[in-house]
Amino acid sequence: MTEEERQARFMERLERGEKIEATDWMPDEYRRLLLKLIHMHGVSEIMGAFPEKEWVPRAPTLKRKLAMMAKVQDEMGHGQLLLRVAEDIAAPLGKTREDLVTDLIDGRVKFHNVFHMEAPTWADAGVIGWLVDGAAIINQAALLETSYGPYARVLKRICAEESFHMQHGENIILALTGGTDEQRRMLQDAVNRWWESLLFFFGPVEVTEAARKMIQYKIRTKTNEELRQQFFNKYVPRIRSLGLTIPDPDLRYDEKEKRWRFTPPDWKRFSEIVRFNRGPKSRDRIRLRRFAHEEQRWVRKAMVRSGAAQSVV
Amino acid sequence: MNHGDSGRIQYDVFEVFVQKTQADPHVHMGSVVAPSPDMALHTARENFLRRESGVNIWVVPRREVTATPYDDPDYFAREMDRKYREVSGYSENGRLWKMYREKAMHLDDIVRDLEEKPLRDR
Repeated sequence: MTEEERQARFMERLERGEKIEATDWMPDEYRRLLLKLIHMHGVSEIMGAFPEKEWVPRAPTLKRKLAMMAKVQDEMGHGQLLLRVAEDIAAPLGKTREDLVTDLIDGRVKFHNVFHMEAPTWADAGVIGWLVDGAAIINQAALLETSYGPYARVLKRICAEESFHMQHGENIILALTGGTDEQRRMLQDAVNRWWESLLFFFGPVEVTEAARKMIQYKIRTKTNEELRQQFFNKYVPRIRSLGLTIPDPDLRYDEKEKRWRFTPPDWKRFSEIVRFNRGPKSRDRIRLRRFAHEEQRWVRKAMVRSGAAQSVV
Repeated sequence: MNHGDSGRIQYDVFEVFVQKTQADPHVHMGSVVAPSPDMALHTARENFLRRESGVNIWVVPRREVTATPYDDPDYFAREMDRKYREVSGYSENGRLWKMYREKAMHLDDIVRDLEEKPLRDR
């Protein structure tokens, strides 16, 4: 079979709605696009645990502390599931799990902009669960239909667990809105702080070449803008129902165009944050990630040796 | 601590099967990487049973799994009509029983009736 015939047969499989598996033949381009997406998704889950873990020792009650710890565990667990999927895709390219992890600490793979930002107050912890996880769920739910089987399967579990994060975040912000004036002010400040990051999170409005290819390969089915509009539909009314103000005086629903008009986030500033790890917390969190990876290398090695010893016995 | 030796650490891949209750079969959940079967069990519990309950976990080194190919649809071919093997192949029973003023009986009815408490306990 020639390369063209293989490619054509592959596209036919996608057209029939078939899922692709790790051991199937796939075009190099498909493999690289998948790896880029899932690698970034995986490391973002891991980096997503950092702003949250900062709130574990400072959570206001024991129940909140337990729930924050559960979230941190979930994010790390999601990272593990996704890196597992990514490393099977990466293996034919000669890349290993170790490479996928060091790519993160050496700045060769990006992670989501929201995890570069500060979470200075308890309301930020709430807004992360409510709106950041809310935005992430829209993104991930849209990927449940993905053409890559192993990714679709882990996304099912991830979405189910993210829905707990969403409820937990809503519970925190509902407690704050029912609290004192100071608590409501703190919540409004957090919403102001996160709004622009949330808009950037969905990516550029224009459909990039990579995004177009991913849609063609049915790796994803929706454009960034479709997902951002979905976020507005779901969240603008809820944010306003709490008496909170969205920090964009130009945000409005255009009845004629059937879409939300909004002030664009500072694309340049945020893309520099993710490309060069130049956000307010990027360096600190990567340093901590590097520390965990390097200082525990001896533990991983010792475990490999004891595992080998076991198999001899 | 020795940092000089940055030799690559390669863990094995283990496929994970979880049994929810002893009335259920083990179900494939996904896979983990681990340095030993013991650590694979531990990682599997942390990855797949943070919320759900289970009574048993199997971890199987992936290289030990023998599987069918995905790209050979003929392997699972169903060229013959298999209605004769299935409940749905006998839907005419309902119409036939009607002639005798009776209804078709199904497994669900039997199970439900068995689950109902005996009259004397009501």
